Amino acid sequence: MPYNETVATLGLEQYKYHFITQVEPLFKAQKGLSEEVVRQISAHKEEPEWMLEFRLKALRIFQSKPMPTWGGDLSKLDLDDIYYYIRPQDRMKRSWDEVPESIKETFERLGIPEAERKILAGVGAQYESEMVYHSLKEEWARQGVIFESIENGLKKYPDLFREYFATVVPPHDNKFAALNSAVWSGGSFVYIPKGVKVDVPLQAYFRVNAERMGQFERTLIIADEGSQAHYIEGCTAPVYTTDSFHSGVIEIVVKPGARFRYTTIQNWPRNMYNLVTQRAIVHEGAHMEWLDGNLGSKLTMKYPSCYLVGEGAHGEILSIAYAGDGQHQDTGGKVVHVAPHTTSRIISKSISRGTGRASYRGLCKVYEGARGAKSNVQCDALLLHDTSRTDTFPYIEIEESTANVGHEASVSKIGEEQLFYLMSRGLSEEEATAMVVRGFIEPIARELPLEYAVELNRLIELEMEGSVG
Amino acid sequence: MADARLSNEAATATVVGEGVNAAFNRDAVERRSAGLPEWLRQRRLAAWEVYERTPLPTTQVEEWRYTDVSLLKLDEVELEEAGGEAGGADAERLGLTGAAAGRALQVGARLVQVEVAEELQARGVIVMDLAEAAATHPELVEPYLGTRAVPPELGKFAALNGALWSGGVFVYVPRGVRIEEPIRVGRWMERPGVAVLPRTLLVADEGSQVAVVETFASPDFDAPALSCGVVEVYARTGSSVQYVAFQRWGHGVRHVSTQRTIAERDANLDTLVVNLGASVARVDLAARLEGPGARSDMLGLYFASGDQHFDHNTRQDHVVPHAHSDLLYKGALYDRAHTVFRGLIKVHPKAQRTDAYQTNRNLLLSPEARAESLPNLEIEADDVRCSHGATVGHLDEEELFYLMSRGMPRRIAERLVIFGFFGEVLERLPLPGLVEELRAAIEEQLH
Repeated sequence: MPYNETVATLGLEQYKYHFITQVEPLFKAQKGLSEEVVRQISAHKEEPEWMLEFRLKALRIFQSKPMPTWGGDLSKLDLDDIYYYIRPQDRMKRSWDEVPESIKETFERLGIPEAERKILAGVGAQYESEMVYHSLKEEWARQGVIFESIENGLKKYPDLFREYFATVVPPHDNKFAALNSAVWSGGSFVYIPKGVKVDVPLQAYFRVNAERMGQFERTLIIADEGSQAHYIEGCTAPVYTTDSFHSGVIEIVVKPGARFRYTTIQNWPRNMYNLVTQRAIVHEGAHMEWLDGNLGSKLTMKYPSCYLVGEGAHGEILSIAYAGDGQHQDTGGKVVHVAPHTTSRIISKSISRGTGRASYRGLCKVYEGARGAKSNVQCDALLLHDTSRTDTFPYIEIEESTANVGHEASVSKIGEEQLFYLMSRGLSEEEATAMVVRGFIEPIARELPLEYAVELNRLIELEMEGSVG
Repeated sequence: MADARLSNEAATATVVGEGVNAAFNRDAVERRSAGLPEWLRQRRLAAWEVYERTPLPTTQVEEWRYTDVSLLKLDEVELEEAGGEAGGADAERLGLTGAAAGRALQVGARLVQVEVAEELQARGVIVMDLAEAAATHPELVEPYLGTRAVPPELGKFAALNGALWSGGVFVYVPRGVRIEEPIRVGRWMERPGVAVLPRTLLVADEGSQVAVVETFASPDFDAPALSCGVVEVYARTGSSVQYVAFQRWGHGVRHVSTQRTIAERDANLDTLVVNLGASVARVDLAARLEGPGARSDMLGLYFASGDQHFDHNTRQDHVVPHAHSDLLYKGALYDRAHTVFRGLIKVHPKAQRTDAYQTNRNLLLSPEARAESLPNLEIEADDVRCSHGATVGHLDEEELFYLMSRGMPRRIAERLVIFGFFGEVLERLPLPGLVEELRAAIEEQLH
């Protein structure tokens, strides 16, 4: 049963007024970043010595790397004005009354269950989901699936953790991966044993309980040989948080013959800088799919990648970006073909509205020796206003003569004829526009789980209101 | 987040001005300004100042990511001071033997031949040494030379040429004059170890028509030589202009060229860039569409083998509404050749109703060949039709099999498929005579 329905049938009204958890602040690192702060974080999490060393090394890398000058405008991002660690308890001290009316209204119109609204607004712990979560947890435990917070992963499975941690995204990969490596907190640790097929998507949503989604979340996923699973992070509804900076690292290892899909939809507040590194190493005959939706934030820079290192590995990146007024979505994907007969596909759809700017930035690299590698990239951009902006920056680097690589992109505005046709059937211009936009993103939306697709559609409708004239 | 490969990092200063090559110096600029009008001397000196303060590009600069400037062997050449004899050049290779409305030939540092059909001269057509034109027709040269199209600020090499060019060619076609035959310009280098700095300025006045074909050729050298060129093309209102740069330098030559075209209202401005020769070729070509109704077709064809390294950097700049540009670059690579195509369609905020297209196709014919393709779009207007496509692939085995099953040896079959591949570019070239020349040159390359 889908999560939403389950919650609705549980009769949870009684909790309505009990969601505020007053917690005394136990620990709050000082603003800004220093070795001291990193030591405090590590000590607080009671981490082994090697992790502290790792964090400190990453901190030095972070400090030595220059800020990127490409992509979005990071000049307003003040890295010294950030709390790098706040105990989870402290994050929930907000009350429902503090949540902006606009967000509440959106929840209302999206038809999001009351209980979820509190969670999305960051004002309540997910007591309500506990029951659902527990039954799933038993099922997973029976199969040997590990689905824990990253902190618990490190505590309970130290060897497995250490074997894979930071092997996919090492700290020196880029400045923000280094930052995350130094101060990471929160996120998931997932292990799918050999041959196990997990039918119900693993939703970060269920797990993220007391520890709210962190600013510097770190997720490590290992899909062992022949396993299958789908992991879902985030949600289409707007998330309310007072943070203005989010920098996550997601590492996934897809072992031979495994199939893994990672879906993430972000709808961060419009003042958020969202700089995320997501990467998967895909082994022989394995299959990795990223489904990446970016609706919120002020600036997102995120390029999910697949490193196809085993023969016959397949990588797929489906990306939707929506850039409204004042937003810049600098997103795309990277596929790196290292082994023979590897294949990949990137489909990107972006919509720019008002003063929004959507940029596709991607890489297709085929190393010598990746015989018969095939890759296809398709980017379509839709512009809704004359103030909207779109860019396409693909990098195609081919060292292998037997490879076949194609890239295509198109940019267009909504066709007058399409609108005219729909309006002649009695739709308002707004409705017609929303319908064309829905049709435009449909090839990707149909890959989403039903409830996400429904929410996404509703959200597009909301966003299109007032988009005409 | 991404690694540095996805970066568009701005230039970071490294090697500045002096020290690149002592042969390039202020005295040389003064020497080359001798006898020129004062405004031109000032312009050369200003360019020299820009050159001195502009750092050499490094691979940290996005537009030079794949071409290390050390490949150009800038410190291994002297400034060419000598001229030569017209008879020393291979006129056949330079395409100077066929029908032409005008001809210019540079050997070494100087123009050794400049001529224009008498009938055209009578109608005001000018084909002249650029330095001479600057003195005799300042009103036609001063507004255009190194101003809007290729000012020295465009880059290190544009500035170097702006300061030290020699053997320049000026072509002017007056209002309403339509020239049928192409004007041919030949650039010949006789010896290695030197740098030549050719410059071409083409101004087609309102409603005129002209085609200029510039060919670069030399023997094969066993040491480096440098050609650092600039091309400026102005197509005034309603004119129709074709410009072809056919690069077939011999081995050893480093070819660096900055080309800018400016198309005014309702002008048709088509360019073709052919790179077959030289050890290293770096071409920066931008088309700026400045008037509504302007159209620019940008064709490119490259065939690299051995250790050749070609880098194309194109730009389609749409600054006004209702303009059209269409780019098609195709390349084939043998052996250890390495080619780069980086193209940008830039649609500025007011440029509504823009149609802009960009296609780059690469054929890898040897296991060690390597191609990069970076077709970029930056769109700031909404009512546009823009698309781009890029492919890197290999010969279609089925096509080869079909031809071979008809009794054709593999080598011949391959050639046929490669010709078919380039055919798409050649078909769009409105200069039938030149198509044959190019076919023959490609054929030569295939042996």
